[in-house]
Amino acid sequence: MKRILIASVAIAALSPLGAAAAERTLTISVYAFAQDDFKTLVYDPFEAQCGCKLVVETGNSVERLAKMEANKANPVVDLAAVSMADALAASRAGLIDKVDTAKLSNFAKLYDVAKDPNGDGMSVGYTFYATSIAYRSDKMKIDSWADLLKPEYVGHIAFPNVTTNQGPPALYMLGLALGKDTPDLKGSIEALGEKKDDIVTFYEKSSQLVQLMQQEEIWAAPIGRFSWAGFTKLNVPIAWATPKEGQTGGMNVLVLTKGSKNQDLAMQFMDFWLSTEIQTTLAEKLVDSPANSEVKLSEAAANNLTYGEATAKSLKLIPSAIALDNRAGWLKTWNEKVGQ
Amino acid sequence: MFQNRAEALALALPAAVFATLVFLLPVAILLSEGFRAGGAWTLSAYTHFFSETLNRTVFLRSFRLGLEVTAVSAVIGYAAAFAIVNLPPTGKGRLIGLVTLPLMISPVARTYAWIVILGRTGIVNQGITGLGLSAEPLRLLFTETAVFIGLLQLFLPLMILSLISALENMPRDAIPAARVLGANWFQVFWKVVLPLTREGLVVGGTLVFTGSLTAYITPAVLGGSKVLMLETLMYQQVSVANDFVSASVIAFILIVMSFAANILLKRLATARNRR
Repeated sequence: MKRILIASVAIAALSPLGAAAAERTLTISVYAFAQDDFKTLVYDPFEAQCGCKLVVETGNSVERLAKMEANKANPVVDLAAVSMADALAASRAGLIDKVDTAKLSNFAKLYDVAKDPNGDGMSVGYTFYATSIAYRSDKMKIDSWADLLKPEYVGHIAFPNVTTNQGPPALYMLGLALGKDTPDLKGSIEALGEKKDDIVTFYEKSSQLVQLMQQEEIWAAPIGRFSWAGFTKLNVPIAWATPKEGQTGGMNVLVLTKGSKNQDLAMQFMDFWLSTEIQTTLAEKLVDSPANSEVKLSEAAANNLTYGEATAKSLKLIPSAIALDNRAGWLKTWNEKVGQ
Repeated sequence: MFQNRAEALALALPAAVFATLVFLLPVAILLSEGFRAGGAWTLSAYTHFFSETLNRTVFLRSFRLGLEVTAVSAVIGYAAAFAIVNLPPTGKGRLIGLVTLPLMISPVARTYAWIVILGRTGIVNQGITGLGLSAEPLRLLFTETAVFIGLLQLFLPLMILSLISALENMPRDAIPAARVLGANWFQVFWKVVLPLTREGLVVGGTLVFTGSLTAYITPAVLGGSKVLMLETLMYQQVSVANDFVSASVIAFILIVMSFAANILLKRLATARNRR
């Protein structure tokens, strides 16, 4: 009896291994954003197509990069979605491999800005977004980034913290408007520091802003276009500013982990994600703006996203190298002038 | 209960091994990070931490707010506990239930409620402008006041409950006896009630102080980055700057402050008792 028991336990313990051998596993690392939509629109269809198992790790980019660094010798993640600047950081740290774009059937369809955002062949853009100012059109008029600091407005704005993705681009545009556009962002951080007691808050999560806008706590805030949809549902008039200095923004890219044993599968997944079909469904669900130029959107979706080659080209993005080399300095200046 | 110590130890062993492996060891490793640089033991991370004005400001603010919340909750707590203890059983049960109720609601929900209450269009500001105390709504959210109110509401129940149990253990006739012997109400409190309930105050005080010091959600939501506290700063160091050394320094400071608060409060209580 005892022997039978041991044997059955052993078989039960082995069976998952048997299954894993038959079915390959691809591990991806992505932002913890809209994961329900991603599961139904991207992950499940891909699993069905490749006959493999997809393991999804989520978190903010710093956590995920730290994890990739810790597992450098024996990578767990095969493919990661990160910001442009983080892709350069990963590349500098030797964590990622060149992307062999010849193997991507959808590569030629991408907007030129998304093809090789950092110019090092290590990443491919899958979505980009504009960053501008959402504001109460019945209370104010925004024609310039500097309007945010006008005495009659400044007590009603929320500005992104320098630690968020929207912080540095917004500071960069404010610097442009103030005529102090140095890479160290000193001019704009100092200008904010002088008004820090008036500014309502330096937000860290854009999800908080809709409530603050609803409560009339704030009238305006620089935001990424991906969080715009929430504002349009409010029962107050909200407009998207087109400041004379232009709009800024960011791009997210896909990278391949160096030393991954599933690079072929990772490439397949990357190609799948960049395909016209997947990019269209993601955009129609307002999850991500498309980087694929063949995507044709309904007017409703186009109005809520960052859409079209002209828009993509017009965005004033901070070059990754500048972001990376200045990040520590931005935080230091911010903490000295604004943080206390 | 056990025939020998070995048996008792053997029974305690699994729990001890578990706690050591998954709690004590990781904490020790994390904390040791703050004392090491270039393979040698050093305090440089600590001197560097305190050399930055921002860090000093945040440290003092957390410490001060912790003290303020503890002191105010002790005052309100004594009053509430007195009132509740002297009620008939049904009323007492209901009120204790009311005091405990907030503890069963997630701190996230409780804290978000304050955003609505303290906002420009919230009930507090409506009252202030309605009564003509101010023409414009006051800025309450994202201020130290908001964090103070949030923390006080979060931890006051712990103080009240500790004091209720302490007051219930106090001999029933102690207060009438002191009154008969001519003590005024202040003397009754200072010389009779306080010494007899000191343990409740120590327990409540430690819970409130360490709670306020280590709460994350309340300062993050009601204060934001304009009112950084040690915990919000620690989060920033880890998840934004990826600086685990600074985070470990803050963690160590928080642990030391919590222990120090407990020891100090105990000392204060026994010192009063000896007199």
